[in-house]
Amino acid sequence: MSYLEIDQVDVSFGPVSDRTHVLSDINLSVKENEFVAVIGFSGAGKSTLMSLLAGLQEPTKGEVRMNGEVIKEPGPDLGLMFQNYSLLPWLTVNENIRLAVKTVFPKLSKKEITDKIGHYVDMVKLSHAGDKLPHELSGGMRQRASLARTLSLDPKVLLLDEPLSALDALTRSELQDQILNIWETDKRTVVMITNDVDEAVLMADRIVPLTMGPSATLAEEYKVSMERPRDRQTLNDHPEFMRLKSEITNFMMGLNKESKELAKGSLIPMPDIRPKDFSLPTARPRLKNKQSQPTSAA
Amino acid sequence: MAESSKDKIKYGLLKFIDVSGFKVFDPPVRLIFGEDPQKQIRDIAKFMVLPMVFVLLCIFTWNFLAPTHKTKSGAVPTPAKVWDAYKDNRRFDERENEKEEAFALTGEEREAEIAAVKAELVELEKKSTELQKLSDEATKVGQAKIDNAIAPIKTQYDELNAKFREERKERKAELNSLAEKIAEKQATTDELITAVKADRTATDQEKTLLKDLKTKMDDIRSDPPEEIKAAQLAANKVADEVQHYKKRLDYLTSGNRELKVVKLEEKIAADQSELVAAADPKAILKEAKSVVSNEEKIVKTAEQDYPRTATIFWQTRRSIATVFVGFFIAAIVAIPLGIMCGLNRIIMACLTPIISIFRPVSPVVWLLIFQIIVGAFFPDPETHWLFKTLNNDTILWGLLPNPIAFLQTNPAMIFSACTVAMCALWPALVNTALGVSAIDKDHMNVARVLKLGFWSRLFKIVIPSSLPLVFAGLRISLGVGWMVLIAAEALSSSDGLGKFVWDEYQNGSSQSFANIILACFIVGIIGFFLDRIMIILQRLVSFDDGSATA
Repeated sequence: MSYLEIDQVDVSFGPVSDRTHVLSDINLSVKENEFVAVIGFSGAGKSTLMSLLAGLQEPTKGEVRMNGEVIKEPGPDLGLMFQNYSLLPWLTVNENIRLAVKTVFPKLSKKEITDKIGHYVDMVKLSHAGDKLPHELSGGMRQRASLARTLSLDPKVLLLDEPLSALDALTRSELQDQILNIWETDKRTVVMITNDVDEAVLMADRIVPLTMGPSATLAEEYKVSMERPRDRQTLNDHPEFMRLKSEITNFMMGLNKESKELAKGSLIPMPDIRPKDFSLPTARPRLKNKQSQPTSAA
Repeated sequence: MAESSKDKIKYGLLKFIDVSGFKVFDPPVRLIFGEDPQKQIRDIAKFMVLPMVFVLLCIFTWNFLAPTHKTKSGAVPTPAKVWDAYKDNRRFDERENEKEEAFALTGEEREAEIAAVKAELVELEKKSTELQKLSDEATKVGQAKIDNAIAPIKTQYDELNAKFREERKERKAELNSLAEKIAEKQATTDELITAVKADRTATDQEKTLLKDLKTKMDDIRSDPPEEIKAAQLAANKVADEVQHYKKRLDYLTSGNRELKVVKLEEKIAADQSELVAAADPKAILKEAKSVVSNEEKIVKTAEQDYPRTATIFWQTRRSIATVFVGFFIAAIVAIPLGIMCGLNRIIMACLTPIISIFRPVSPVVWLLIFQIIVGAFFPDPETHWLFKTLNNDTILWGLLPNPIAFLQTNPAMIFSACTVAMCALWPALVNTALGVSAIDKDHMNVARVLKLGFWSRLFKIVIPSSLPLVFAGLRISLGVGWMVLIAAEALSSSDGLGKFVWDEYQNGSSQSFANIILACFIVGIIGFFLDRIMIILQRLVSFDDGSATA
């Protein structure tokens, strides 16, 4: 029984005469409490896929459904954790979470809200930094705060959009463990987008590769049947892990080669991952949104 | 523990210095707390001592160059003269205060004050006559010196003048005879023309010589020896003081408010007794009218304030008040409009032509337009409710003294403030629109995920995120407003620093030039502090370390 479903979805931009097909013929169904990882190259359209699931963007064709109902707009049920943290920089960690909790659960009393905030801040081990502003935190701490905020919405589906790609390797593995830990104690449906094969194999029940854009689509999925909890230390020697890793890597490399041959001469967009910077907008803002829009949509 | 509390003070101070933008004071504070003294001393030398030396150098150059340039209003004032002008303005202000006090004093206090002033006056008058005598003597001596210096030049001048007159006569006779010769055909016309030319050159030369001598004498006369100047100055100063004390005495006696009221009351009493005694109907009516009119006068006199002359300090306060009125009008209009522009591209498109066309318009034009438009609202400002309320002595039905009564608000102030508002509007508007439209798309997505409504989206996301840019705009606005205001006041004769400068320029006394330069410094210093206030506010609302705002 599929809980979250993408059904025959196409996404394209631009005028009819010169349409750019970002995603075409996407089909994906996720069971309840399943952890699915979508793996793909930068610029393949992963973020667009995530926007579809979160309801931030409507498909040109087809439907995205949750529990049988078509997703038309974003909401707290679809807990999206942004790639760039997107914490509100003028609020402390606690205040960021309070804003979310207060908006989603308006009926809670003051004490209940405070307890809830404390619970989620503890969960991501940030209780010592609850009164800090985002710019006073490291990248990993910001991402944890962002995770706490998303979890505090108590979403039915957790959507993780490359949550760890802006972090250094050590912080990254620490956070992977934390996310897994939280998921295992409090099961829910998770779709995670990543560009890291190790991460996907370590965390997911199923891995779905996204082929290269334009007109990216989902390829044959890989089932990860390793027992949980998975231990990072011993995993490297696990035969299943090694098999999956090499298969997926080979598949992805093949895709890359294929796409290079297909798109000879045309430029491959550069990765558009950068940590959110919290510097003050100056009198001449850098207009970072405008710059990054075309690439992040591609 | 002691160590940590010390650190707390230190970092608190450093934070305050950072927020207020006075980075210069960072090294001295660190030095006081003993942090790496060598580095701090080096920094102090580099960033405090050297700039101070430079400023002193500038002042020195000014001091050196100023007297060399003679203008219609005397030599350019030196720093010392400007400082004197400041002291004179201070004294003037204090005297106004004393007179105001004297005007309102009543009863025994007034009697005591009269005695004190009278005693002081006797002393001063004695001193004044002495100094006047000294000054007269010095002037006599000095005059003799001047005469001595002028005498040889004068004799030279007279001699030359007599000589030249003779020569001119001779030349004239020669020319006449030459002309006669030509008439008799004994000479050519060319000869005559050459002779006339020679005569002209000779006359010109003579005139220049005489003129030079005259200038020499005038210079000596116009520049009396220093001792005369000093003696006269001292005498004048005390004479001035005597004048002031006399005036003060006047306000304590015949000009005093209480006494005026008493006098009027006496008059009424007299009128009333006459009213009773009068038999003629005409006379009765006349007395009755007199009683009523005197009663009205009493009410007016009792409410009367001392008619203060505007001092530079009062003008400064009024300018500051005006600029803030204008600035707040600008902010109240610009911020909501800017937010609307930033949120909605259609509104932005509608307002863009208006912004683009009206932004470059000169403040002078706005002032004239507002003078006409705003003036029409107050055909009779004396009785208009707005000014009556603003200038009333008390507010809240007489509960509290009115803190802005001293401003003497009038239509001129209103349209100066409107001009300031009109010119200060644009930077705030444009910056707010920019701040709102440059909101991070991720933050808007957060709002969408949380399903925030329009108002909470506005107050929780849009306004906080654009606040730093809004304040950057307001800071520019206040700066523009302050600059515009001074010009507007000069042009519209609205009381304030601008009017002060304009009046000084018009009246052209010996101290006017120094006063203008003094006003220039006051304007600059206040502008600097206004900017600092805005910087502090801007840093307080910005959500990072504030390094982007220099």
